Amino acid sequence: MEFKREFELEPGEIVLREVRKHWIFFALSLVPLVVLAIVPFLIPPFIAHVPQLVLLNHFEGWNTALGRVALGLWWLLLWSSGFNAFTRYFLNAWIITNQRIVDIEQRGFFRREVSSLLLNRVQDVTIDTEGLLHSLLDIGDINVQTAGSVDRFTMDNVGDPPMLRDLILENAAAHTGMGNSGV
Amino acid sequence: MTEPLTPVSSPFALFGKLGISGHEVALVLFLVVALFWALYTLVVIYHWVRYSHASKVAMPAIALYLVGSCVFIVLALSGLA
Repeated sequence: MEFKREFELEPGEIVLREVRKHWIFFALSLVPLVVLAIVPFLIPPFIAHVPQLVLLNHFEGWNTALGRVALGLWWLLLWSSGFNAFTRYFLNAWIITNQRIVDIEQRGFFRREVSSLLLNRVQDVTIDTEGLLHSLLDIGDINVQTAGSVDRFTMDNVGDPPMLRDLILENAAAHTGMGNSGV
Repeated sequence: MTEPLTPVSSPFALFGKLGISGHEVALVLFLVVALFWALYTLVVIYHWVRYSHASKVAMPAIALYLVGSCVFIVLALSGLA
């Protein structure tokens, strides 16, 4: 099967790294879905503890014909939601080559933005790490300041930001003669 | 003096009054969710195939999603059989 790239590599250009948000953010996005998946099993004990609902006395458990339909469809929806979270996690990426950084942002289905930043325009690269989780797991935001541009190029919540900063600065220096002066 | 507890009527009792069985409701619900799932699956696989950049993750991820989905669909179908 042929996959189509959204950008063409220039002659001599090589992909150094594909960067995504730290996997912990994908894992955290699954927590509500896991909770919702076990909610059906919390319903019978809940009914048993509420007198008004005990009198309802219609619920016969999940191992009935209608129970299996409801449970199967509920889990199918949650499973699809989980895959949707993984799709969004995976298809949002920053690709660092020896000539540029490509920011690929999947904003929704059929809505995708791809922008490039040439490394010869890089003036400064800073790291912003804030919070207990970020400090413990070595997660941070990388801000790339470019020449002649008000906008900053930001890679947020990536793992091992110092390594990525050094990678960007080393390759930017090869284009501009800039030293490794990033903070 | 406290009022005696009165039973809460089941929302499904409404279908009974309309002459619609629980099985028919479940079948319609299944078809609606299955249609939504099929459309979503087509769209999401299109995105993976087109934008995953030849990643080795793409095909296993799609396969796992389809296998998991089939398990839940079979579970639902077992109630309709």
